[in-house]
Amino acid sequence: MNAMLQERSEAMNDAEVHPLSGVRMSGADIVVQVLADEGVGVIFGYSGGAILPVYDAVFRYNHEQLGSDGSEPLPLIVPANEQGAGFMAQGYARASGKVGVALVTSGPGATNTVTPVRDAMADSIPIVVICGQVPTAAIGTDAFQEAPVSTIMGSCAKHVLLVTDASLLEASLRTAFEIARSGRPGPVVVDIPKDVQNAELIFSGSSRLPIPGYRARLKAVTDSRLQPTECTAFLDALGKAKRPLLYVGGGVIAGEATRALRSFAEAFGIPVTTTLMGLGASDTTEPLSLHMLGMHGTAYANYAVCDCDFLIAVGARFDDRVAGVPRQFAEEARFIAQFDVDPAEIDKVKQVDWHHLGDLSDALDALRKHAAATGFDAYGQGRYADWHAHIAALKKTHAMNFDRDSALIQPYAVIEEINRITRGNAIVSTGVGQHQMWAAQYFDFTEPRRWLTSGSMGTMGFGLPAAIGAQFARRDMLVIDIDGDASIRMNLGELETVTTYDLPVKVVVLNNCGDGMVRQWQKLFFKGRFSATDKSLHKKDFIKAAEADGFPYAVRLDRVEDLPRVIAEFIAFDGPAFLEVMIDPDACVYPMVGPGASYAQMITGEHITSRDPFVAEESGPVEMF
Amino acid sequence: MRHIISMLLQNEAGALARVASMFSARGYNIESLTVAATHDPLVSRLTLVTIGDDAVIAQIIKQSRKTIDVLEIADLTSRDHLECEMLVVKVTANATNAAEIARFTELSFGIILDEGETTRVLQFSGRGAHITGVLAELTDITTILELARSGTAAIERGTSVLGLAEPALAV
Repeated sequence: MNAMLQERSEAMNDAEVHPLSGVRMSGADIVVQVLADEGVGVIFGYSGGAILPVYDAVFRYNHEQLGSDGSEPLPLIVPANEQGAGFMAQGYARASGKVGVALVTSGPGATNTVTPVRDAMADSIPIVVICGQVPTAAIGTDAFQEAPVSTIMGSCAKHVLLVTDASLLEASLRTAFEIARSGRPGPVVVDIPKDVQNAELIFSGSSRLPIPGYRARLKAVTDSRLQPTECTAFLDALGKAKRPLLYVGGGVIAGEATRALRSFAEAFGIPVTTTLMGLGASDTTEPLSLHMLGMHGTAYANYAVCDCDFLIAVGARFDDRVAGVPRQFAEEARFIAQFDVDPAEIDKVKQVDWHHLGDLSDALDALRKHAAATGFDAYGQGRYADWHAHIAALKKTHAMNFDRDSALIQPYAVIEEINRITRGNAIVSTGVGQHQMWAAQYFDFTEPRRWLTSGSMGTMGFGLPAAIGAQFARRDMLVIDIDGDASIRMNLGELETVTTYDLPVKVVVLNNCGDGMVRQWQKLFFKGRFSATDKSLHKKDFIKAAEADGFPYAVRLDRVEDLPRVIAEFIAFDGPAFLEVMIDPDACVYPMVGPGASYAQMITGEHITSRDPFVAEESGPVEMF
Repeated sequence: MRHIISMLLQNEAGALARVASMFSARGYNIESLTVAATHDPLVSRLTLVTIGDDAVIAQIIKQSRKTIDVLEIADLTSRDHLECEMLVVKVTANATNAAEIARFTELSFGIILDEGETTRVLQFSGRGAHITGVLAELTDITTILELARSGTAAIERGTSVLGLAEPALAV
């Protein structure tokens, strides 16, 4: 369950002496040994001059430790571009809960990973990026392939360690993993000059850097337990509520708190809506699950937010895609409670009436037990009967829907058709844009870590490399990249990586000939002036591209009547498969809460019933983003 | 409003840049910044003066507290605290104003650090307002050639001490 606990380092008793303790090793060998000690199962990376000693050490390690079946203990997966390596490490981390690792060279190798590092920070994903750096003496001289990595990454990573003192290399690496996976997870960059990789050192086996401030703050949060008085305050407020709602974010996934959350929701009979990052925390096929809320959330989830009188935020941060107008978000809620592990998230956007900083599972379980012990009767006297009936009515009346009679292939129908086969039993990654929202809306999500998407940063090109990384983490699962024609172009080179490693990844490109989401905004807010977003005259042939990269299955689907048959054969294909679907280029993502708009101003489109009469406003320049 | 923020930092390369970028990333100008090692050589104390919206400053402090190298951080603005700044200033001196400069320096609790043929280097310390006042009065007596102000250092009054419960070296 808790994959992080399975990592060897966590299980390793600190008092145990490492078998290699005291052995002379080069810096490069120490890098590889620490990766092995930290339970790294695969390295994603691209070589280059300043990281050569470490690449050589990986080669030697794999040669010396070759499994009896010929398997390498630290396989090195080579992308087309270092950005791909960063997103593969993320896909691996998101799907497994373990720390993903990218290993790149100095200069361009390192700067190509800036985007995945920032993306990992924004979505709280634990990765460690190890960069080669020019030799210590050459730093700051505009040397070949030199970039100020610690300065650049310092602004976007959870932490950066530039190892200028070779004797601190081992401690720095081990600390990097500790920081990446602890507290609110995030990316850590370790910049290692070439001379440090070549230095002759003594392996300690357990050294760490002193980071007393961080550890003390972390301990305060991890040791924090919900006190009986806090439980009472929470339950008193809940006892007065008639329409409570759980608003659940990615923190529940990152904190491995899915079980506790579901038990809590069930024990109290509280409906659940999740953010984009929280998909999978609750089983969306359950009657009290409202699927996603927010800018492109389901209408029924957003209406439930409007109607609730008690909002419980768990590992969610009132992001602008959810609470575009914080004041009007859950305006009827007379009480808002917030659970998180990050003190900076409390009262950041929305003032709350009650909060708890600490392990989410621990706190949710404590409340449940306190309620049971004090005789709090959640279901007593039909407490929420009206609310549950209201939720059921909202889900029925304002159900997701689209034009089911169109002669053009509707993107929603493609997702529905795939979902008919997978039913939540697949890992789905996406790019960014309309296809991402359609996938979020129309797939069932039954388990955590099966939905990999660039939520906060919104990085186009995320889907394909993330799917590759996820397939390495979960060889046993079907991995599907739902992509858009514009998004996949950003990292199209990684198609080759799929076939090179013979990964049975399924790649779906919903082709609407351009940047659909931007076009949707241009349609709504810029009077239909499609500035630089139309690619209908481009000569790109995705099928030829996939075939050129060795995809044994590469099919273009452009007739509605072929949809069920082709989807079935595509998903069933044994090996890498590529499917391009020519979709209705005018298909939009609905519902939509415009930027800076409240949920009452939600546009539901032609096929989803709205309960508020939509007031068309003359669109002008939009301040919000 | 004006905020005085005190921070204890691990004496690491990059720590100062990361903290400063918290302010620059929001377009906040740092009015003054002083940083130097404390009695624990592994720990630096930083005092930062900035002007900004209270809520934004509160958020910056919360975000800064998440920085790995930050040991402790506090906004001293609303606490009973003492501020001190140092000024080193070079002025022109001649037969007519030399005595006046010396008298003014003494009255203002300053020190004459250097006496040249045509210049004096003076040192003053005290609250920011005192330093600003000294500069204003000096311009009436002589011509200022160049100056360096240290920026504000601040410390809380009473027994309260900024620091970790545990010693910084503990792993």
